Amino acid sequence: MGAATKAKSEANIKTVENATCTFCGCLCDDMVLTVDMDAKKITKAKNACVLGKALFLSHEEEDRPFALIDGKPATLKEGVEEAAQILANARFPMFYGMSDTTCEAQRQNVALVDMVGGTIDSTTSVCHGPTGMALQGVGESTATLGEIKNRADLVIYWGGNPAESLPRHFARYAVTAKGMYTPNRKKDRTIVNVDVRRTKSVPVADIFIQVKIGADFELLWALRALVKGRHVDPNIEKRTGVSLETMKDLVERMKNCRYGVLFFGMGLSMTRGRHFNSAAILSLASDLNEYTHFIATPMRGHGNVAGADIVVSWQTGYPFGVNFSRGYPKFNPGEFTATDMFARGDADAGLILASDPGSNFTQAAIDHMKKIPMIVLDPKLTHTAKLARVAFTTSHYGINTGGTAYRSDGVPIELRPCLDSKYPSDEEVIRAIYKRVEQLLKTRKKTKGANNKRRKAA
Amino acid sequence: MSLKLTLKKKPTVPVEAESICPDKMEGLGLRDIAALPVHHGNETTTVGDFFKVTGKSNGEIRLEGDTSRFKMVGAAMSKGRILIKGSVGQHVGVAMSGGEIVVTKNADNWVGPEMSGGRIIVKGNAGHMVGCAYRGGQVGVTGGEIIVHGNAGNETGNTMRDGLIAIGGNSGDFTGVGMLAGTVIVLGEMGQRTGAAMKRGTIVSMEDAEMLPTFTYACSYRPNFLRLYLCHLRDLGLPIKDSWIGGSYHRWSGDSIELNRGEALIFDR
Repeated sequence: MGAATKAKSEANIKTVENATCTFCGCLCDDMVLTVDMDAKKITKAKNACVLGKALFLSHEEEDRPFALIDGKPATLKEGVEEAAQILANARFPMFYGMSDTTCEAQRQNVALVDMVGGTIDSTTSVCHGPTGMALQGVGESTATLGEIKNRADLVIYWGGNPAESLPRHFARYAVTAKGMYTPNRKKDRTIVNVDVRRTKSVPVADIFIQVKIGADFELLWALRALVKGRHVDPNIEKRTGVSLETMKDLVERMKNCRYGVLFFGMGLSMTRGRHFNSAAILSLASDLNEYTHFIATPMRGHGNVAGADIVVSWQTGYPFGVNFSRGYPKFNPGEFTATDMFARGDADAGLILASDPGSNFTQAAIDHMKKIPMIVLDPKLTHTAKLARVAFTTSHYGINTGGTAYRSDGVPIELRPCLDSKYPSDEEVIRAIYKRVEQLLKTRKKTKGANNKRRKAA
Repeated sequence: MSLKLTLKKKPTVPVEAESICPDKMEGLGLRDIAALPVHHGNETTTVGDFFKVTGKSNGEIRLEGDTSRFKMVGAAMSKGRILIKGSVGQHVGVAMSGGEIVVTKNADNWVGPEMSGGRIIVKGNAGHMVGCAYRGGQVGVTGGEIIVHGNAGNETGNTMRDGLIAIGGNSGDFTGVGMLAGTVIVLGEMGQRTGAAMKRGTIVSMEDAEMLPTFTYACSYRPNFLRLYLCHLRDLGLPIKDSWIGGSYHRWSGDSIELNRGEALIFDR
């Protein structure tokens, strides 16, 4: 990290070096942003990929009210009051989202859910949550992306399409990056891609293995058996679409590489089998450590979704789907995860922080969200914000707000904001709600106590 | 005469009601029973807030009304009987060690997780995770019986160590996943990936099943022990055909990734 800011006062142009892009889980922290302070716009984003450019260059602060209550403009204070009343009166509120905000805001959110006795879940539960469940069962052999860049000579992408979703993954970490022990970049590495279709990530691969839809688990299981020297019936080709010879060749490459890595995406964690698919690939990496060094690591989508897991784990002991109804944290995905709680009609209120479940949850879940009082914090008027009782406009993390975010490999990265915003940060709004709910709950406790005394006296 | 709890007010959110258990209600008067705590979301209320309590406690509790949002009924029970006239919520009979729970309609996800004894009978369908370990746990059911007359969801018998789970209808994916020992009998069809990562134990199905590549065909035979199990299930009211009792079964050994000491017995039609 070099010097951060150079101001060029004459044209009121500012350059921010080593800024962090929060579009995807790569969290590239080598952005050089040129900012026109008068127009409040970012005019150049050097080093950014196509997604990063879209994030920075299209950034514009919309002129929206600080809060909307039932769709009508309101002040921040009115919004906080309404939100606090909803939460103080809720019996089973669901707090969801957190993947596009700072760790500081996530931490406040955990404090709030703890106080009101609600349930907290992040977008992890519809992304790599199953991987989190899998690693509790089978463990994880993992590394940072820096180590992978410097050492890995066999890179396997499975069920993910980084060329389109994490565009700089190849150049910064795993394919064309120059590493300490991989000085000749791609020449020093073998790239394998396993997927159900030819994605845009396939052309960089030396070997492409096309697996039949819904047969990833069987393929992984057969590979595990081969690594362990067990018999596998050649009929496996019918089920998986991959011949036994291809599998044996891949297994030999895996066993004989110097440092292997399995990057896996939602093609595994969100298809039939879910946590067992993730468990299978994590176990395959563990099995291979009998022969060489091998790791498996998920490719995360949202900017700070890894941070949500880490903050919730640090605060509650569990990564997602945590309930505080009884005053202590209880973890049970399927029961305390957001899609399930909304679709079953369990939650009686909701707080959505920096996420848009209204656009991607099941219809049953969205229908229930429409019935209950919802609170939304987002810089944009999202689908969820449109169906919320209270919708706060907040500043954009990474552009307007500083703080910490975690890269998909669990490395914390500092954000370097480049523009001010008139809107408060997520953290400030959550803190304000926390303060007001605390007052409301204290008053209620006192009234309850007084009523009980009166009843006893009578 | 048994103790009767009749639902008088429907909860607005799910209720954790582990107080509804013979061990906790034994020897208590009706007023004390009505004062037992239940957790309505984040609020602690009482049994009496939701139920009209009548009858006398003689070891049997009858639940009447729509109790499908009441979770953890019969949690950790060791004796007595609970008769649920209707459906019940999640975690029914969690960690029970004795006694009997009968559900006349459906049971939600997690039926008898980590139980060590006793019997749960579900006359309708059960959700996912019948007789399983909780996430992060290494061992599921260590004893007892779970009998589901209808269908069950995914991961039936996940990491069970002992006991019997019988499903009268179909079961979902990953039936008997990670089993350490014990028996799972499915009279209908099983979903995909049966017995993945099982170490020991027996999975039986009366319908064809696609086995994982790490299971190998061993032989066809007529297992004696299975006759005893099937006669027992017939006594419990499951529709067991004579042909199943005397029939031959294909034996598949697996999972070879683990100990390879487990078996899947598929009825030879």
